[in-house]
Amino acid sequence: MARKEITIALAGNPNSGKTTVFNNLTGARQHVGNWPGVTVEKKEGSLSYEGYHIKVVDLPGVYSLTAYSLDEVIARDFVVDENPDVVVDIVDASNLERNLYLAVQLLEMGAKLVVALNMMDVAESRRYQINVKELSRLLGAPVVPLVATRNQGTQELLQTVVGVVKDNIEVTGMRLQYGREVEEEIAKLEKVISNNSLSKKYSSRWLAVKLLEEDKEIIKKFEEAQVG
Amino acid sequence: MMPLSMVSSGEEVRVVAVRAGWGLQRRLADMGLTPGVQVRVINSQRPGPVVLDIRGSRLALGYGVAHKIMVT
Repeated sequence: MARKEITIALAGNPNSGKTTVFNNLTGARQHVGNWPGVTVEKKEGSLSYEGYHIKVVDLPGVYSLTAYSLDEVIARDFVVDENPDVVVDIVDASNLERNLYLAVQLLEMGAKLVVALNMMDVAESRRYQINVKELSRLLGAPVVPLVATRNQGTQELLQTVVGVVKDNIEVTGMRLQYGREVEEEIAKLEKVISNNSLSKKYSSRWLAVKLLEEDKEIIKKFEEAQVG
Repeated sequence: MMPLSMVSSGEEVRVVAVRAGWGLQRRLADMGLTPGVQVRVINSQRPGPVVLDIRGSRLALGYGVAHKIMVT
């Protein structure tokens, strides 16, 4: 039986056009509140598309998903704990390297990612030529070009999101190789982690990488798992 | 080797080291500022921030932070 209620999260760098995309998707059907217990703004909206009722959650604009800032922790926790059906990462096509940093982190976390390649007009005006198909192949995720300020590409984005939900479109993701020495340590850690209850919720490899980064939120989770 | 805060506008330099605690090093690395990266100083006029062209994007750093970044 097809599920008809889906939740999508919008992620992306500040100034990548996330709010514009959010507005294009939800129109006037928006609600602004706060993330629980903090003063960070939380925007939610909804729309109907092809028989699906789609809830859209706007995550705080972040450059990365570390444990060092509240915005990043909120964004990261939402993706892992709420497990949205799709994460749409709004990428500024004219600042590709910086923006893809977040995309790769989301993929490493196992998010069902769709990359919304926004600001294609700016990229074009700078004579950037982006091979969208190749980018999609390398990332293992669909890439949809947009010019959000002109509301161009919104329908294609929705088509792709629904396609991922229906499993017609695959998100295989990518595996970043960190070099022999680091990979050896990751393998050792993964073996130990697979015995831990946390590995049921998070990918063992991702946990291993976070431990090597001395990510304090993840270290805390391991400590809590020992006690419980 | 010199601090990034002393580099003139228009100059291209290479980052050698970040003389700061783990938190700041991590934050700068997240913004693309890692040892070995080439950057171009777009603007370094006081009292404004140090604006860099780094990996195709622009980054603004306060002088305190720029002073901890060693470049050649």
